Amino acid sequence: MLRETAFTDVRCDSALDDASAGFMMDEDTFRAFYERTARGLWAYLARLTGDRQLAEDLLQETFYRFLRAAATYDNETHRRNSLYRIATNLARDVRRRSLARAALVPAGDDIERLPSGQDAGATERLADFTRAMSRLKPRERAMLWLAYAEGASHREIADVLGLRPTSLKPMLFRARRKLAELLGSAPHGGKV
Amino acid sequence: MKPIDCELESEVLAAVLQDRWPERVDASLREHVAACAICADVLAIAGAIDNDREQLRAHAAFPDSGRVWWLAQMRARREAAQTAGRPITAAQVIAFACAMGLLGACFGATSAWFQSALRRTTSSLATIRFQTLIPFAGTFIAQHGALLLGMAAILLVVPAAVFLTMLRE
Repeated sequence: MLRETAFTDVRCDSALDDASAGFMMDEDTFRAFYERTARGLWAYLARLTGDRQLAEDLLQETFYRFLRAAATYDNETHRRNSLYRIATNLARDVRRRSLARAALVPAGDDIERLPSGQDAGATERLADFTRAMSRLKPRERAMLWLAYAEGASHREIADVLGLRPTSLKPMLFRARRKLAELLGSAPHGGKV
Repeated sequence: MKPIDCELESEVLAAVLQDRWPERVDASLREHVAACAICADVLAIAGAIDNDREQLRAHAAFPDSGRVWWLAQMRARREAAQTAGRPITAAQVIAFACAMGLLGACFGATSAWFQSALRRTTSSLATIRFQTLIPFAGTFIAQHGALLLGMAAILLVVPAAVFLTMLRE
């Protein structure tokens, strides 16, 4: 189950005003949902793309498409999974587009330069981690992030990434092995 | 067959995420991790990913919810207007096609008259002596030069203005 899912139930069938006609939720509901999810989603997109500005752009586009989607959701978890699925697909589309290629090469140069008040060792470990992640395939990055940063179940990861749940487990195993090897060979380790 | 998961990996993950590793976990779990490649991998990556997550979340840069809502509204309105404009364009295309069809039908109905009129005009032009028209044209230009100049200007300026307006739009 994704983290931070113990939310109060959200009303989705509120009356829509003229301006928001077509949106699946009203402003108050949206703002509450955004406050709960935007930070985590931005981190996911930043790690997936390696670009902070692109992550912000994709975040806005994700929420817009989410609002326009005429979908109904059983619960908060389902809604969040849908949000992450939209974000994942957008990141994949951008990556495929040749125009965005230069901005999206997952070299991690951008998020490696995050401002940090930490000691040099922590900064170097972060840089090692960023480089290691950048050497994974985008889908591997996404599944590891969802599993270990968002705490998503296999079923949820499969749902977000459009994979069969049965094929996820070996893929996750391989991705985990690959990242562990990359972190193990990093100059500053990366181990806990 | 090589195992790809371990029943204790969720415990290892929980211990790492809750900052209980390695001091505040059972010795048996530590021994297991030392012997289990899968749990060792989980241990290696879980803490690193969690640290990275905290770093990214701490430095997350995204607009506030009000701005995102407002931009979404503006965009939805714009797209709604574009969608509403689409049937008008289709109707215009249909109207143009109808007008062309009507024009063709009229021409077909009057083609006999048109062809005879064309023949008459051609034969009339053949009988005209253009040299006799030159003095008449000179007189006409002298008397109505300003009018002719205005008409020529309109013929040039109006299409240019229409073109430039369309270009700007």
